[in-house]
Amino acid sequence: MTRIENHPILGKLGRKKTVTFTFDNQIIRGVENEPIAAALLANSIRTLRNHEETAKPRGIYCNIGHCFECRVTVNGIQGKRACLTPIKEGMIVQSGKRFATPVRDWSGNHV
Amino acid sequence: MDEKEIIVCRCEEVTLSELELTAATYNCSARELKLRTRAGMGFCGGRTCRTMIEAFGIDKREKNRNQVTLKYQAPVRPVPFGKLGGKTP
Amino acid sequence: MYKAVSGSPLLLEIGVETMYDIIVIGAGPAGLAAASTAAREGLHVLVIDEYMKPGGRLLGQLYQESNGNWWNGLEESVKLNEQAVNEGVKIILQTVVYDIERQDSSWIIYTENIVYTSKQLLLATGAAESPVPLPGWTLPGVMSVGAAQVMTNVHRVKPGDKGMIIGVNVLSAAIAMELQLAGIDVVAMALPPLNQLTHQHSRPKEVMEALLHASHLAPSKFLRIGSKFMTNPFMRQLGIRLYPKSGISMWGIPIQLRKAVTEIYGTNQVEGVIIRTIDINGSPVSGTEESIACDFVCIAGGLYPLAELAGVADCPFYYVDELGGYVPIHNEKMETPIEGLYVAGNITGIEGAKIAISQGVVAGYSMAIASGKQGLVENLQDSIKKVHETRKQAAIRFHPKVDIGRNIIHKQWEARQVPSTNDATII
Repeated sequence: MTRIENHPILGKLGRKKTVTFTFDNQIIRGVENEPIAAALLANSIRTLRNHEETAKPRGIYCNIGHCFECRVTVNGIQGKRACLTPIKEGMIVQSGKRFATPVRDWSGNHV
Repeated sequence: MDEKEIIVCRCEEVTLSELELTAATYNCSARELKLRTRAGMGFCGGRTCRTMIEAFGIDKREKNRNQVTLKYQAPVRPVPFGKLGGKTP
Repeated sequence: MYKAVSGSPLLLEIGVETMYDIIVIGAGPAGLAAASTAAREGLHVLVIDEYMKPGGRLLGQLYQESNGNWWNGLEESVKLNEQAVNEGVKIILQTVVYDIERQDSSWIIYTENIVYTSKQLLLATGAAESPVPLPGWTLPGVMSVGAAQVMTNVHRVKPGDKGMIIGVNVLSAAIAMELQLAGIDVVAMALPPLNQLTHQHSRPKEVMEALLHASHLAPSKFLRIGSKFMTNPFMRQLGIRLYPKSGISMWGIPIQLRKAVTEIYGTNQVEGVIIRTIDINGSPVSGTEESIACDFVCIAGGLYPLAELAGVADCPFYYVDELGGYVPIHNEKMETPIEGLYVAGNITGIEGAKIAISQGVVAGYSMAIASGKQGLVENLQDSIKKVHETRKQAAIRFHPKVDIGRNIIHKQWEARQVPSTNDATII
């Protein structure tokens, strides 16, 4: 996705320091201290994790830290919210994957 | 799961039809519905779906305006065990 | 169990101050205004917020006021933050408060790294968005309308090239305009599909009524003229029947009150939506399906007060539709029935940022008085008047009957006061 370089009210996007980090081993360039989710979206990456049980892709939902849908692993720490974690040079970000030991889908007969 | 299904609780992937069926079968409160289906019990703590779960129970608002339908409890955000009570590891 | 360590010497990290007169949770407009007000009276104030910038939801706001001036949330946030810092407020960001507890007339505030204490505590935690669920809404590219606002105005990254907004209300109309302003193509705004969870957002008549109260946003001639003569139920019914099938354009965006998005589709991310014509009660008309390609979708189900920490503190609540949901019971001085616990901003009901600021000032004075500062009773009374004035002049009303909602919650407060006890705290 593109960055909004010029905005009629908010003005021009000033030159800012860029940094590189990795997302699932892919090298990503972004603006220092912008949230991981914004840097990834600016690089056209929407999927931040796969659901633990169903493996369905998920991306940002609320973008302000309430929903935890954007949780990723940052420098080895799980459960970090990509929407409010600023990127730093050399940061290692990994998406969440389906659990290796899924549970049966009991939803059909638990009622 | 049918792709046309409507997910209500995103964390636990609990669907609208599952909630409707459970609510109809047990004629239960929103809290019981939550406990039976795990809707609202996932990673986000129910912040996203709580208003929807509340809309199902037999204890709908009219008689229960002065009590939160689904109780809030700490921790209100997930916290790593190593951080509980302070001090960075 | 985790509370057992609260007295542990491990907590006393060198150089970290942990005791304050006042702690404010939430660095939005209410929290920052309260902190500045109390700090100006000489109190030691700490503000904690989990986001990376101060400002809360104010950060993303951008709209033109009736006098032609732009309300720029980013700039307003910077001002509020600078003001607080200049008054000596300590602000810590990217810090999660996961629990609060009252112990020996103090509050204990648990964050991930440090446990803080204070005499007075203000919860200014704002609001969360209520969703309207539909098939496909977990696909990447589907986000709350507030998420698109933040991505666009705060981070300056387009949420997509071409978007569809599901849910027509004051908030989504304002954000649709902001997206448009940033050069993002908003294909249309339409209603969510009718089901047990979406009814008030899915019936054209109800949505229309709610929109009419926002007509000063002047989205179109139709709504402006409409609000003048559509004052009785018959005319409203007529209006919605006559509502053009192609929608009404607002800033070039079609608002479809007679169409609902029944499905969002895509394999790994959003590729488009299925839209259908609906009757005046919100039921889809068969054979009217059409597919619209888009790469992002915004879900707009409105806001509800985010009051989880008030719940943890055992503060009593009351459900008020006009305020957006369960609200901690409080009085005009922003006191709750829990000693030393205050609330301000959207946690007390969904309203605009200017009202949140004015409520924050009230809470600041109330806490200063409770902290023993003298001569502030008049300031407090004036600040309460200011809240009412600000509400009267508000550019955006989230609920047309917010005044009624405020009265309901204040009556709940009064009902809890036993007349014979010392009620000198009531104005």
